[in-house]
Amino acid sequence: MEDLFIIIYNWLVSLLSGWGVGPVLVDIILGVLGSVLIVAYLLTLALFIIWVERKLVARIQDRIGPNRVGPWGLFQNIADVLKLLTKEIIIPDGADLVPFMLAPMIAVASVFMIWAALPFTRNAVGTNVSIGVLYIVAVSSLSIMAVLMAGWSSNNKYALLGAFRGVAMLVSYEVPMILTLLVPVFLTGSMRVNEIVGAQTIWYVIAMPIAAVIFYIANHAEAGRSPFDMLEAESEIVAGFHIEYSGMAFAMFYLAEFLHAFTISALTATLFFGGWRGPFVEQVPTLGIIYFFIKTFAIYLFNVWARGTLVRLRIDQIMSFCWKFLVPIALILLVLSMLVDKIATGIIPNYLDTTLLGMLPRTGILLLVNLVVGALAFGWIARTGRRERERLESRQIAPVERPAAGQQAK
Amino acid sequence: MKEISPEATSDVKSVDAVELLSRKFPGSIKPDDRKGYEGIVVDSSKLPEVATAIRDELGFDLLANLSYVDYPEEGVFEVVYNAYNTAVGGKGLTFRVRTSRDEAEIPSLIGVWPGVDFQEREAWDLMGIRFSGHPDLRRILLWEGFAGHPMRKDWREPFYEEDNKPYGTRWPEGQVQRAEMKTPYGMNVQYPGGFKLEGWEPEGEEALYAGLGTPLGIGPDIHQIKTDQLIVNLGPQHPSTHGVFRMAVTVDGETITRLKPVFGYLHRNHEQIGERNTWLQNMPFTDRLDYFSSLANNLAYAISVEKMMGQEIPERADLLRVLMVELTRIQNHYSAIGFLLNDLGAFFTPVLYALTERELILDLFEATTGSRMMCNYMRFGGLAYDLPSYIGGPAIKEGDRERELDTMKFIKGLVYERLPRATDMLDRYLTNNEVLVNRLKGVGVLPGDRAIAYSATGPVLRASGVPYDLRRADPYSIYNEFDFDVAVRYNGDSYDRYLIRLDEVRQSLRILEQVVPRLEETEGQEYMGGKRSYNHRVPAGDHYGHAENPKGELGFHLVSDGGGNPYRYHVRSPSFINLTALEEMCVGHKVADIIVILGSIDIVLGEVDR
Repeated sequence: MEDLFIIIYNWLVSLLSGWGVGPVLVDIILGVLGSVLIVAYLLTLALFIIWVERKLVARIQDRIGPNRVGPWGLFQNIADVLKLLTKEIIIPDGADLVPFMLAPMIAVASVFMIWAALPFTRNAVGTNVSIGVLYIVAVSSLSIMAVLMAGWSSNNKYALLGAFRGVAMLVSYEVPMILTLLVPVFLTGSMRVNEIVGAQTIWYVIAMPIAAVIFYIANHAEAGRSPFDMLEAESEIVAGFHIEYSGMAFAMFYLAEFLHAFTISALTATLFFGGWRGPFVEQVPTLGIIYFFIKTFAIYLFNVWARGTLVRLRIDQIMSFCWKFLVPIALILLVLSMLVDKIATGIIPNYLDTTLLGMLPRTGILLLVNLVVGALAFGWIARTGRRERERLESRQIAPVERPAAGQQAK
Repeated sequence: MKEISPEATSDVKSVDAVELLSRKFPGSIKPDDRKGYEGIVVDSSKLPEVATAIRDELGFDLLANLSYVDYPEEGVFEVVYNAYNTAVGGKGLTFRVRTSRDEAEIPSLIGVWPGVDFQEREAWDLMGIRFSGHPDLRRILLWEGFAGHPMRKDWREPFYEEDNKPYGTRWPEGQVQRAEMKTPYGMNVQYPGGFKLEGWEPEGEEALYAGLGTPLGIGPDIHQIKTDQLIVNLGPQHPSTHGVFRMAVTVDGETITRLKPVFGYLHRNHEQIGERNTWLQNMPFTDRLDYFSSLANNLAYAISVEKMMGQEIPERADLLRVLMVELTRIQNHYSAIGFLLNDLGAFFTPVLYALTERELILDLFEATTGSRMMCNYMRFGGLAYDLPSYIGGPAIKEGDRERELDTMKFIKGLVYERLPRATDMLDRYLTNNEVLVNRLKGVGVLPGDRAIAYSATGPVLRASGVPYDLRRADPYSIYNEFDFDVAVRYNGDSYDRYLIRLDEVRQSLRILEQVVPRLEETEGQEYMGGKRSYNHRVPAGDHYGHAENPKGELGFHLVSDGGGNPYRYHVRSPSFINLTALEEMCVGHKVADIIVILGSIDIVLGEVDR
């Protein structure tokens, strides 16, 4: 059976050509149409994601959650958006207007742009660029700029503090994220995202579980979600970089935050969990989009779970976790598995085979490497953790010398 | 955990103190021989030396309270200090200093007890007594545009009617005239002479920021690295300051170098209003101090006045008081832990679970006293009501009828099952959480000797290794009849201040387990001693009464002139004084930590600002 997306695409091309539109213009029209579709789809989805998150967190907290507007409170977010639309965007005195207004747009745009390179099915992908992974890294870093612009232009000290933290944290977590992003790239031998998905007859998470976990954690931090929600720590710096935003400008940051969290789940699903792959996807390619979103939502649930239960880390703890733990582990893992992989390529015949049976030896060997590195890493963190605990305990003070009870203090 | 047995507490008699001190400072010490007064009167020129001797030689190391009284007939202000011994407990030592009303100035004790910092500022603010040697004598609760010092007996507010309640009728001729007619808008405030509201620049702010400029010498040396410092105002509008509270903070990057708390945004001159009220009218007014634990406030006020009246209390009333106060302590500590976790960045989950249990306790309060938070339950000599026979509750499921539960069954269910389980649940899910431990351990350390010097009380003091609990140290009500330990932890960091609240909840449950059977025995007995009356006459005298509130020592310094109204009604609020140590605890930590440290002190602004 042919892919539904191909059928629609071909129909549109023939329709437009039938109207006498030139082939270049057809490409442009379809490109615009595609991006509008994706953005509109994501915006609708965002309302749903926020609803899911609010419901789930409510359940974690022994509450019911939104249940007044629409069935099961489904339309609560639409009401919220309507409210925000009617609100004034207050621009503080002394704010730098251009970056102030640009920041929310960049924040949202940087998230949407990632989706351009994510394949929904085998054929439905915004742009199947040859440097897809590089492109994803590049556009997702744009969100840092949005934080910085918002924090700097707001003329507010909380916003500035939030931006300080944001820049320090986001730039740091880019490093382990990119290091682990290289894993699917070298396993596939291509930066094309669709090829990475296509090569995952066995999901890469099975071959490289540690890399997948590090990638997810680093991305989690990139999205600024609990326990890494430093840049907008409500209890500390009120709202951080977006404290001065109101109305739709605030709504865009809000939207960007939730969509970013969802996007990192989609990224993890694509790069490590086989994206659109699933049973019968070869026969019915359109099923891929369903598999893709099931996986994405499953990963997103972890995100919500963390938000509902975990306590925020402090800035220095977050930084040392990144630089002293994630980066070295990711680096060692990457180098070691590349080395082992290269040696194994020479020794084992048909090592790079991508059929289900053919992938087994490679998966097994890499899994072994991962487990070894993982075991060492956990041993190491347990030891440093213990040493840190001992250091803290050694700082603790001795009880005050007190006279025994009953003795007159004279 | 360490126990102080009640027999072991002994006290240095004030007679001995007078003897010892007058030998050392001849001519500067004399006992206070007015009727109903106790303690010693110290000559103001010798005050710091005498205070040092009281602290070091007599062992009264905790200056619990600084109060101030105006005696216009004699033309003096009197500053009253109450010092206590944290090592052996027992009765404290009261010493007073008198100064003339015209040139009110006495030496500051900040060098002896740093804990008097805010209290001296308060005395300056409300009474106009100068404390020479105080480094930062600014107004603390009122603003610069406030005319005069409101606690002086000759101070009159713009709407002044009469000195004492109950007021006479406002319209003796029967002609009702609205107050707004007499005082048009804008005329109902007084400003100091020469004060211009238009273009007013808060001068206090400059002094505040100037004070922030000089580093304390704790924490990183900012002069080695050339960096800019940033002054950030955390609050007054801030989600984690637990009310309208402001911390002016100098930060170097994320590290705190100086911190000054600013408060008074909620100030309503509780004490001045309290002096207009009759003795009993102040009972509902104490609810509004620490609105999380109104019943404990009631008890502290009731025992202070009863002590002056010499009132006997029936057993059932005492048992019910202990029941209510210990339940108050439990719910207060639950919410303190919950909100601490909120400050740590948990997304409301722990606080909602903690509040679930709190609601059940409030159900009992509501059924018994008629109110969930502003209980107004205790009276001089007993209580307003006995326990109700049943507790109504909201319908749980759709179509359910209203619940009607037997009260004793409900209390038993709470004390024996629900609350221990909830405490274990909090303990299990929070105490060993890796992130929580890392965020709290070693943060905001307050060593025991500093805690005593800063007059910290309650969980803050006990988490620093000082087992000083007034229920044991200076027993009141019937606490000496119960078997419980004084919870104590030794590290003085935020983690211990978290743990000690769990410990105290467990100890409170232990007390409650002993209260419940006795409550059943005394079912139907009298719960009110003496006759019920609206207007009490309290014999002339001066008394400092205190009780162990969930947040620390709540004290009432009361002076009576024998009339129906308190001559002086001073509140020693634990949250206010515990904040004195905040700067020392915060310096050198990160911005995220001050929020946590503030949360671990557990303040309520209704009590801080009064």
